[in-house]
Amino acid sequence: MIKFTNVNKWFGDHQVLKDITLEISRGEVVVICGPSGAGKSTLIRTINKLEPIDQGEIIVDGFNLMDPKTDLTALRAEIGMVFQHFNLYPHRTALKNIMLAPQKVRGLSKKKATERSLELLKKVGLAHKSDAYPIQLSGGEQQRVAIARSLAMEPRIMLFDEPTSALDPELINEVLDVMTSLAREGMTMIVITHEMGFARSVANRIIFMDNGEILEIGGTLDMFTKPKHQRTREFMSKVLHIPVANNNHEDKPEEGG
Amino acid sequence: MDFLIEQFGNWKFYLIGAYPKGPLGGLSINIAIALLCMIISFFIGAIFGMGRLSCRRYISYPCIIYIEFVRATPALLLVFWFFLFIPSVLGTNISLFWSSVIALSIYSTAYQAEIVRGGILAVPRGQMEAALSSGMTRFQAARTVILPQAFRMMLPSFVSFFISLFKETSVIYIIGVIDLTQAGVIISQRQPDRMFASYLCMAIGFFVVCFSMSRVAKTLEKKVGILDLSSYRPTVCRTDLSLYPRGRGKSAA
Repeated sequence: MIKFTNVNKWFGDHQVLKDITLEISRGEVVVICGPSGAGKSTLIRTINKLEPIDQGEIIVDGFNLMDPKTDLTALRAEIGMVFQHFNLYPHRTALKNIMLAPQKVRGLSKKKATERSLELLKKVGLAHKSDAYPIQLSGGEQQRVAIARSLAMEPRIMLFDEPTSALDPELINEVLDVMTSLAREGMTMIVITHEMGFARSVANRIIFMDNGEILEIGGTLDMFTKPKHQRTREFMSKVLHIPVANNNHEDKPEEGG
Repeated sequence: MDFLIEQFGNWKFYLIGAYPKGPLGGLSINIAIALLCMIISFFIGAIFGMGRLSCRRYISYPCIIYIEFVRATPALLLVFWFFLFIPSVLGTNISLFWSSVIALSIYSTAYQAEIVRGGILAVPRGQMEAALSSGMTRFQAARTVILPQAFRMMLPSFVSFFISLFKETSVIYIIGVIDLTQAGVIISQRQPDRMFASYLCMAIGFFVVCFSMSRVAKTLEKKVGILDLSSYRPTVCRTDLSLYPRGRGKSAA
């Protein structure tokens, strides 16, 4: 469904994506992790062309992103995106945040858009907050509204750019629950996150990136228990708070998890 | 206090000049010109402000040149220059009133353009990204997401610019319009020993209008709802970012 072929991208002299080749199929949930500055965000932002690439080819759901004739708005309407800082429209209520794109892009009538938006708010457990402005919502609630806003376009792919890293620890689960149920419904999802519990329960594959490269791709269990790359091992042991099976670390005592 | 009461006997001249026998003047002409200029330059300024942000150089460069040129020119000069320029080029005479309106509109357009530009730039990038990624075109995003937020943020700047424009309108005396300052000067010359009193009256006139305007603006801002900028930021950071977090000192451990 999404196919990267030898994708390269530079910011000035700095190469942020190095020869990325990757294929993601329909219904798959892929988690991307890696240290900051690894190019994770840039990678998923190329999928809806918020970031253009310099070399290579990306084909998303039949759209060739390098073709200048590609209808970007039509492509973006099929791809939902959820941001780290929510990016809700602060001058509109929760309901109106969700209604906007279906009305403007899909041309839904006000009545139909309202109906669908209320349904989605219910789905994320916020039906009672439909008239609240973003400022009146907690971080977790804002992010759930943002997810509902993306779902209102009935996308075929959902991109999540660190959806929980700006949240209070206590609010993370409510967002992850919504994402988990979405994954169970068969949505194609690409998620940048360091929530390994979430990755363990829903991800089909984990991608580890460092320095603009994909260092390792593997099944969820493999990546947790026997990552091949030394760099992946170090990173995993840090995010999991335990030394991952690694000969060099065997004699050390386990750190608190 | 007698001298002030004596001055207030001339209130009609301060407020409307020689009207209805002569041309309109006094405080009312300052208000009329400031209002007209504000409205005209709001629309043209919005176009120039957005034009300056355009990524197409043949649009942005002319806007930059216009804005920078006008901002580097005193209003007084513009008023005087237009007064001489229009009759000599168009060959027709134009009333002093409209000549000053055109000149001051051109002057304030440049400033309003900068306010509009600042307001648009103050909307976080994520807003445009969120709108684009939901499939909206740039135009739709600008109209429904960016500009409504930008205008709310611009409101205080508009008000303060309007107040300074209102005071700036006193430069129209140079072409012979009898505005509030000029009316005061005329009265003061009738009684040179009471000069300070008429200058005090002018100050009162300007103060009353400016002060009530900033009061009106305050309530307007509350009504329209200036955006709380913290709503752009994640909740966790809200207390971290403020200089004096709530509860500081109480729970110092």
